[in-house]
Amino acid sequence: MSELQSYANISVGQALPEVIQVVDQHMIDAYADASGDINPLHIDPEFAKTTIFGRTIAHGLLTLAFVSRVLSTWNWQGWAYGGELDIAFLGPVYPGDTVRVCGEVDSIFQRDEGVYARCQLVCYCGEKPVVKGFSVCKIN
Amino acid sequence: MSDYVTYDSLTEGDDFLNPIPAYKVTQEAVDKYLLATNDNTLELQQTGPGNTRIAPPMLAAVYVIEALRTRVGPPGGIHAKQQFKFYRPATIGETLYTSATVIKLYQKKGRNYVDMSTDTKNENGELVTSGMITRIWGKES
Repeated sequence: MSELQSYANISVGQALPEVIQVVDQHMIDAYADASGDINPLHIDPEFAKTTIFGRTIAHGLLTLAFVSRVLSTWNWQGWAYGGELDIAFLGPVYPGDTVRVCGEVDSIFQRDEGVYARCQLVCYCGEKPVVKGFSVCKIN
Repeated sequence: MSDYVTYDSLTEGDDFLNPIPAYKVTQEAVDKYLLATNDNTLELQQTGPGNTRIAPPMLAAVYVIEALRTRVGPPGGIHAKQQFKFYRPATIGETLYTSATVIKLYQKKGRNYVDMSTDTKNENGELVTSGMITRIWGKES
């Protein structure tokens, strides 16, 4: 696997377009409805009070939808057709939080099928990382 | 008898979903998802060859979790890690079948974890998405 510093108009260190999204209970409820994930931790404040979080939290996969928006904007073809994602959920997103999704190309390499970029991805609430991981997408 | 799957009933190597549930990708479901996630990706507004419309890659979060919900754990479970590989976007009208296998059961800091692999194929057996999920099991009463 050979590594490159740049390919076409993509280079190592390049920032991906940022997504900033306010998450409120209305959005969490809408996601619960759209996804069918009605875990009371997300939508039932009384139940959520009994958990370690003390209140409702957003679905982790809602935050991943924002990550997908970043990758779709940056490289739709590579993301939707063969894209890979590997992430860990580090902390909760509460109603009222603003999620900022940041990404950066950290390597470009050749596979048999073509040239790929690996991007580091972090979602922040304020200064706190709540999701961290990477994606791999074809770029040619 | 509890109305959820207990952690002790899981075994490494189990096919978690038997029979494999079906998920029909509908325009309504996709529109609802795009609205809920504020996703305005241009390519998702367009039609492809044969007037086909495609679903966002991350709709996998819906059809995979929907499949896993057929064997749900107790409320309060938490999604800890997620891997996806998107072979291609699902198309509207397609029916998807997600199979899941328990890969690993373990404890960390006194909490029960399960790693599950998933494969989603369409009615013709074409692989659409594969994934790996790490879930912290909810507290059983």
